[in-house]
Amino acid sequence: MRPEACAAAGEALPVETTTPTPETTVREGDMEGALRAVGELGYRDASVRAVLEYSGGYKRQFHEHFASLEACFQEAYAVWIERLGISLLEAAVLAPDWQAGVRAGLVKLFQFVTQQPAIARSLFVEVHVAGGEALAVHEEVTERLAQALDSVRDGLEPSQTPPQSAGIFVVGGIEACLCDVLAAGDQGRIWNALPELMHLAVGSYLGNEAADEEFERTKALLERDRAQLGGEGR
Amino acid sequence: MTELWLVTSESEEGPFSTSAPLPNRLPPGRHGIPANLVVEHQRRRLLAAMAEALAEHGYGSVTTAQVSKMANVSTSTFYKHFGNLWDCLLAAYVTAADRLCEEIEAACAERDPRPAALTVGIDAALDFFAAEPSQAQLLSAQAPLEASAISAARRLLTSRLASMLRRSRGPHDTALQPPGLDERLIDATLAFVGSRISRGQVEGLAGLGPELAAILDRPRQAA
Repeated sequence: MRPEACAAAGEALPVETTTPTPETTVREGDMEGALRAVGELGYRDASVRAVLEYSGGYKRQFHEHFASLEACFQEAYAVWIERLGISLLEAAVLAPDWQAGVRAGLVKLFQFVTQQPAIARSLFVEVHVAGGEALAVHEEVTERLAQALDSVRDGLEPSQTPPQSAGIFVVGGIEACLCDVLAAGDQGRIWNALPELMHLAVGSYLGNEAADEEFERTKALLERDRAQLGGEGR
Repeated sequence: MTELWLVTSESEEGPFSTSAPLPNRLPPGRHGIPANLVVEHQRRRLLAAMAEALAEHGYGSVTTAQVSKMANVSTSTFYKHFGNLWDCLLAAYVTAADRLCEEIEAACAERDPRPAALTVGIDAALDFFAAEPSQAQLLSAQAPLEASAISAARRLLTSRLASMLRRSRGPHDTALQPPGLDERLIDATLAFVGSRISRGQVEGLAGLGPELAAILDRPRQAA
């Protein structure tokens, strides 16, 4: 993935440069608590009380920062999905080529999912229940990641032009796979899907032959590095 | 006006064809319709209303009261049919999934195999989604934690559609396809269609056929 494409895809993303104060720490804690509570209990059953159990904060403090649980979730969602989006693009941009960049982005994503399954459930599954502003932010980030995938188009011959929707198609396929394992509470299984998802991505842009090679390469890398990646992966 | 066809026009699918639009409620008074047909009619209305209510209110706020109201039944009637909202949702999902697969199978049965089968199958699915966007949303949306059974139903649908996709290919291509890839392609297709519908782009669905065919049809060079 080319650096300029990733930079363009991420140019609207805010970067935190300030030192956290106790107030921002409490606020951050409540936001993380909201994502955890929603991920564990579901958006419909989550409550401020549940958030405070996760964050260790107080109700009064919570309401000083947020008008409601919904408001807290929307804000938390925007912050966390943006951070995740940036970290995926950063992982991709450091890779030597487009395919390695896609693989690095997926590995980063899967590490997040296996390490923070409750938050991942909030970001990918429960956002569809919450709707509203959070879902709009989700769509924006999805679009940005699809644009980053599209950066490979510049190096292709006109006769090789992939379908216009390839990026959004691939991102949708990856997310559906995440939702499936998260809904089953079996996030360690996500690693098994890595070669298939690489085939999906590479095949959608570069055709089957390149995708077959990438599938075998990813399978071999997964065998070699499985222990370091976390999750069962079997 | 009395809907006499309800009791007289039995087809192979039973008295209420899944493809025919249901009247919103049965005629009041002594209509002479057997009780079992009344129950079946209520159930069909509830399943259709579940998809409509979900499309209108979303997973976050859909309730049994909304579904019952849309189906023109009382909430106590709702609970005679389903234990809770999620049971109704699961039944609606399975019914919609069956209908989608039947539409595709029927369209493909009238055609030659590859390459036409893939195009015909995609067109049949897109026609179904365009005609009934609430059913499409039901089939493509990610279910919340409470409705975890939907995930299993979705996996089953993905597997059925992936099997159709494999049948549309030549044996050479199918043999070389990595296991599990077709399921990913179907997942991606459902997500893609779902995102179009949630953005209100229902009318453009039929035009997506060539685009989807280009992504899903991955011919391989002969060995």
